[in-house]
Amino acid sequence: MATVEEPRTFIRPDGKEKVTGTGRYTADLVLAGELVAKFRYADHTHARITRIDVTKARALPGVLAVVTHEDVPDVLYGGMVKDRRLFARDTVRFEGDVVAAVAATTAAIAEQAVALIEVDYEPLPVVTDFEAALADDSTLVHPAWEEYEGNESLGRHHNTVGYTAIVKGDADAALASADVVVRGRYVTDPVQGVPIEPRAVIAQWQGDKVTVWTSTQVPYAARGGVAHVLQIPESHVRIIVPLLGGGFGAKCDFHFEGHVAALARAARRPVKLVFSRREEFFAVGHRREGMVIEFESGARSDGTLLARKARLVLDKGAYCGEGGFFSEMAAMHALGPYELENVNIQSSLVYSNNQPSSSIRAPTAPQVCWALEQHMDELAAALGMDPIDLRRKTLIETGSVTATGQVLEQIAMKETLEKAVELIGYGQELPEDEAIGVAVGWWPCFAANSGAYVKLNPDGTGTIITGAQENGTGSVMAMPTYVAAELGMQPEDFSMLYQDTDAAPYDMGSCGSQTTFNSGRAVIAAAVDLRDQLLDAAAEQLEASRDDLELVSGSILVKGSPDKSVTIAELAGEGTFHGKGAGEVPFAPEALAEGCVGQSGLESFHAPQLIAHAVRVRVDRDTGVVRVLQVAAAHDCGVILNRMGADGQVYGGVVMGIGQALSERTQLDAEGRHLNAHLTDYKLVTASDAPQIDIAWIETDTLNAGPKGSKGVGEPPCVPTAGAVANAIARVLGARVHQLPMTPERVWKAGQ
Amino acid sequence: MKVAATLSVNGFAYPVELDPGTNLLAAVRDVIGLTGSKEGCDDSECGACMMLLDGQPVNACSYLALQAEGSEITTVEGLADGDTLAPLQVAFLELGGVQCGFCTPGMLVSATALLADNPSPTEDDVRIGLSGNLCRCTGYDGIVKAVLSVAGSS
Ligand code: FES
Ligand code: FES
Repeated sequence: MATVEEPRTFIRPDGKEKVTGTGRYTADLVLAGELVAKFRYADHTHARITRIDVTKARALPGVLAVVTHEDVPDVLYGGMVKDRRLFARDTVRFEGDVVAAVAATTAAIAEQAVALIEVDYEPLPVVTDFEAALADDSTLVHPAWEEYEGNESLGRHHNTVGYTAIVKGDADAALASADVVVRGRYVTDPVQGVPIEPRAVIAQWQGDKVTVWTSTQVPYAARGGVAHVLQIPESHVRIIVPLLGGGFGAKCDFHFEGHVAALARAARRPVKLVFSRREEFFAVGHRREGMVIEFESGARSDGTLLARKARLVLDKGAYCGEGGFFSEMAAMHALGPYELENVNIQSSLVYSNNQPSSSIRAPTAPQVCWALEQHMDELAAALGMDPIDLRRKTLIETGSVTATGQVLEQIAMKETLEKAVELIGYGQELPEDEAIGVAVGWWPCFAANSGAYVKLNPDGTGTIITGAQENGTGSVMAMPTYVAAELGMQPEDFSMLYQDTDAAPYDMGSCGSQTTFNSGRAVIAAAVDLRDQLLDAAAEQLEASRDDLELVSGSILVKGSPDKSVTIAELAGEGTFHGKGAGEVPFAPEALAEGCVGQSGLESFHAPQLIAHAVRVRVDRDTGVVRVLQVAAAHDCGVILNRMGADGQVYGGVVMGIGQALSERTQLDAEGRHLNAHLTDYKLVTASDAPQIDIAWIETDTLNAGPKGSKGVGEPPCVPTAGAVANAIARVLGARVHQLPMTPERVWKAGQ
Repeated sequence: MKVAATLSVNGFAYPVELDPGTNLLAAVRDVIGLTGSKEGCDDSECGACMMLLDGQPVNACSYLALQAEGSEITTVEGLADGDTLAPLQVAFLELGGVQCGFCTPGMLVSATALLADNPSPTEDDVRIGLSGNLCRCTGYDGIVKAVLSVAGSS
């Protein structure tokens, strides 16, 4: 175990095109004859559709297609529950439901046509209070929920789309025997991913096949989705992802590719959709969900943690999408990285008529961690203990058994805490309007199938073909390093082809911080395959035994006979070499998880990443304005391959976490409509708000980690940031803010 | 009714015909065909569309294209000297100022204007000077370091 001191620099191969403006993002592409797509969205957030009439829109000159549910197969889709139609048929369930789509020669004509579509509705009661939606007599968002095809593990019931309970020991009895018991209720507002690139999709049909250029993080899910909703073979759909202008989870899941493909088919022309910033806020089925979180914990007076109870309610919004596992993920974060003998966690994911929630960078974790870490500080205060000492006593360590029965192999949780505390200068004398807060968290790796090819070019360079997607994180940039190491070449010798579903094998995409973890494994396997082929060819040519050969600096040498060698370029010029590989998917660690229900595979945390953040804030008591002055982030994310890339994830993730802590929130009206779907009132952190961030990597040798000891790095920085800020604010105020974000108004009120 | 005009972008004069309401970003991207400048919001909120007009930074999404006639317009495509990257472009790459790259064109343009205006800025000057450009990826750290490194070396 070592803390990384020496940065290993790695320049992005896609860097030059990005700094010169020559790189092409989806909205930059132009196809001959392309039309502009516009959507007609729902006029109500919950209503029955009684009539759709597109006659006038179709008659408008310049309109080449108007598409509704009648023009596509009548199928339901959705990642974990099939509960949604491409175009609303009988019911609209949130503001962003698409009722019809238009393709026209100009944007102005398309907009005019959209306005000419006549839709009649019978309004239905709107379910915006997702906690109340749990009640058995609540209006059902999906009256036909029982007929839906859905993942069996979800425990669906009425408006509840996912339910998880984690029970161990007897929490009630343990609480009754505790010296100190604390309780807290915390509420979080919905938050958005806000990639700076609004999404764009272009579809073009050639014969029976459609090519879709799209700003997606998950090209293979997009391919499957288009094939499903149009009921065509997957092999007839090709997804290409040009440069992707950020995702943060918001561009996960299949969605608008289907609408645009349907429009292009109807119009017999290429069709392009580019979202406005407003649409990027309200229409996408991906935001961080609002939550209600209640905790009750008990401890002995020496700080021994005896029990924790939690009740979590998560707002799923109108549709499930891929996010059905959120009740379990949230429940795991309610356990947090603590040793617990007695636990009772109940977590419900609930339909409402709000915008659908789904993966946004570390889904569910920042909210639950924010609440739990405040709760732990409250427990420390009730015990009269320093909050760091309480964590020292209660955090998991190597060999700990989690509440779900997972035995933790090599981890560095406590080491990250110590490092963060040291970096921030915990305990230092501070002005009375400043304080330091600390929070810890964890996050799993996601093992999944992946595949890759590596081929050699006649000039001795190589091309890596992978299904992995790049959303700007630099994760695919690691691939040339892995391949070069296997082949005795330089990373610069390799180019990448990684954004075309027709070219590369399946990959789950740029989500779950798993690109290095899974695609890295596949790429190494492909490189090893290629290496074998090269060694065979060289052995023949050099008349040497394979075992005597080594690959060094682009050549294959016979050990001990420096004059007997052949360059990889020479071999590549003469033969055809291409390796392929997938690697073996590592098994998730076992969890006993007795007493648990609603398991969707997260009851053990595979190769967990452990995180401790310490922040110093200044609070203006008169205005409630909080400024984060300094952040120390210590992470156990396994072995770090590319220091600049990994640091970049922490800088970006921490700053995103500060936004979520202090200013970012979607405000909804009484019917679940966005009130601030633009960047003036939805405030991101700017360069002038961003603090100094110090980073420490504690490199551990994690069992079941990804290639070369790697784990994920993209999502963890978001996990404990808001919690650390909250604990710092509470130290200044002597009072807690129970709502997220902790806006000036809320902070001011708490301080009164 | 379209209006004929000539826009001068990165040293080239482009004869164009534009609806009077066309904004500068749309004119440069869709009519002239230089797509390096990005649209992130269309409302002066994100800075992705930043261009220089006679050296002054403007949000091109909120500026009428016809008003730019007679001015020298500079976009991200005009920052490098042929194949040689400008020091800021190199520094952005070397110091982690680029991830997804969508904010990068606007960020580079703003940073160019900032350094022209104030060749030796403090860190605070840089942070305030770039606060009209949103980046969701980098946390601004690499960007600020890049601008300061170029300022220090010039
Ligand atoms: S596109 Fe002009 S400021 Fe955002
Ligand atoms: S690099 Fe992605 S928004 Fe700045």
